[in-house]
Amino acid sequence: MSSALTTPAQTHALYEQLTAFDDTLIDADARRRALDRFFTLHSGHEKPGRFWRIDFESLLPPAGAIDPGAAQVSAEHRDSAIVVCDLATAARKYPELLARAFGTSEAAETKFGALARAFAGSGIFTYVPADHACDEPVVIRYHAGAGAAIFPWSVVLAERGSRVTVIERITADAGAFVCGASEIVSLEHADVTYAVLQNADSQAQILATRSSTPGRDSRMAWNVAEIGGALAAGDLRVAIEEPGIDAHVTALFFPRGSQHVDLINTVDHRAGESTSQTLVKSAARERGQARFLGNIRIAAHAQGSDARLRDDALLLSPTAHVDSVPALEIAANDVKAYHGATVGAIDVDQIFYMESRGISGAAAERMIALGFFEPAIEHFPTTTLRDEIRAALEAKLA
Amino acid sequence: MPEQGLRISNLRCRVAGNEILKGIDLTVEPGRVHALMGPNGSGKSTLAFSLTGHPLYEVTGKVELDGEDLLALSPDKRARAGLFLSFQYPAAIPGVKVANFLHAARQAERPGDLPPAKFRALLLEKMEQLGIDPSFMGRYLNDGFSGGEKKRLEMLQLAVLAPKYAIMDETDSGLDIDALKDVGSSVAALRASEEGRNTGFLIITHYPRILQYITPDVVHVMIDGRIVETGGHDLAHRIEREGYDKIREKIGSVV
Repeated sequence: MSSALTTPAQTHALYEQLTAFDDTLIDADARRRALDRFFTLHSGHEKPGRFWRIDFESLLPPAGAIDPGAAQVSAEHRDSAIVVCDLATAARKYPELLARAFGTSEAAETKFGALARAFAGSGIFTYVPADHACDEPVVIRYHAGAGAAIFPWSVVLAERGSRVTVIERITADAGAFVCGASEIVSLEHADVTYAVLQNADSQAQILATRSSTPGRDSRMAWNVAEIGGALAAGDLRVAIEEPGIDAHVTALFFPRGSQHVDLINTVDHRAGESTSQTLVKSAARERGQARFLGNIRIAAHAQGSDARLRDDALLLSPTAHVDSVPALEIAANDVKAYHGATVGAIDVDQIFYMESRGISGAAAERMIALGFFEPAIEHFPTTTLRDEIRAALEAKLA
Repeated sequence: MPEQGLRISNLRCRVAGNEILKGIDLTVEPGRVHALMGPNGSGKSTLAFSLTGHPLYEVTGKVELDGEDLLALSPDKRARAGLFLSFQYPAAIPGVKVANFLHAARQAERPGDLPPAKFRALLLEKMEQLGIDPSFMGRYLNDGFSGGEKKRLEMLQLAVLAPKYAIMDETDSGLDIDALKDVGSSVAALRASEEGRNTGFLIITHYPRILQYITPDVVHVMIDGRIVETGGHDLAHRIEREGYDKIREKIGSVV
């Protein structure tokens, strides 16, 4: 199959490269089917236009860059009661556990999730046994060298009553292409926090699919900071299929220069009596471009759902552009749903107030912009990570 | 030695094309308290913003702060020269913690004069004087603050920055008697301190009641963008008895 936007030669070359991947995780047929889906699915991401320069529908990994060994993957943890290992090891040593999570969510149902699945091989599996509280975060690092194409896939399986925090750090050098997925399955009363800090080179392309299926009465928190990349695109989903779920999604991003960021967040309330809170904070300066599409869906039978979406964008240059699109589809009648969105520049009275205390206009602007992100930063786990995000944002404001 | 004082001469101000201040002459000497009274809309707050350099105010005339040409300076440099404004409506700045803001302000106005530990001690001391709970420090600047809390925070900044000249714009508005007493005692505490004994005050107010707690040396009355009368403390009492109408009638017959 081939899309009108890619040439037959490009399509053929990608199918050819599938042969380099073994069938430890996924067999060759399933890889081909995933690649078929990649070519047929529409991304749902922003289309090229007056501000937006990138066409997702024809976006491909750099020709010939795909090498199953290219991803630099590592993981750290300090808890002997949990399992943290690479996917190949997981497939060999814990096949049943892995199979309960890997490929079970909707991660491969997006265009780029399908591409990540077609070339899946590197990644980290985290397993937390029942009733175990893991106090130290698991830290996963994915790195793509210059010009490399990598497809890292994280899998978390949190058993009943367990608690874990996972921090995924994505870095990439110039010209790299990262198309990854993070897939989280939790059971009743589990508490999972999954945080992502993407700080790739400004010439890298980063595509991520993040998908979670929380268990009944569980808590699921996503915290995503998209800092780097020429392009950072994410498709994050929380599928609420059980009652009693408390879901939190926090995202922040800050395109500057010629960076593009496009995030689609979907919280899908398919079962009632669950709550979700989405908080998105973004800024853009110079020719930075961004779009945020926040979907909240509440199915007809999902009575008693409580969904909140808050999305604020700060424009720091006249040429910067952020498009915020909250989209609520509510089919039930006994629910609470709230959304609020703001887009604007820094208020002159805020700057004047700080200036009247001796702080220069430029310093005031930096403090106000950093402060603007703070309610989102505070949701991220660990002081180190929060400080790192603050420093990364501060560097973008300099 | 340049001439001391906040010396305002023939100050005029336009906002969105309308002339609001029509030639103000006023000098606040170091260590002295001037009250500027007037009905709503007379231009009192405009004078405060004109002096501190709000970008939306077009200002002409001359203002010297201890000899320095104030109008030539940007708002932050005016503050560093020693000018302070206690805002009637302080801006809320979410995400910026009170402690960080106060530290940044002190650093900007007096770079490196206090190591962080000493600064913290100073803050705690001033907060105790003002009856401010230490949990204030971790809150976002004026964000979700009550009217009274905002005014207390302005007083805390006055205490921490100990400016050469402080303009207090309707600090009494919206305050109950207890809060008003606290404002009075924080001004008194600053004036009694080594750092603040030479601070000159311009207290802008609609009602005379704050002047029971801060006794002015000089009282000015502003109507329609002009200072129409200047006198001693007794002028405030007269306004309390008679309101502004008597004065308005008197100048009406002249203008």
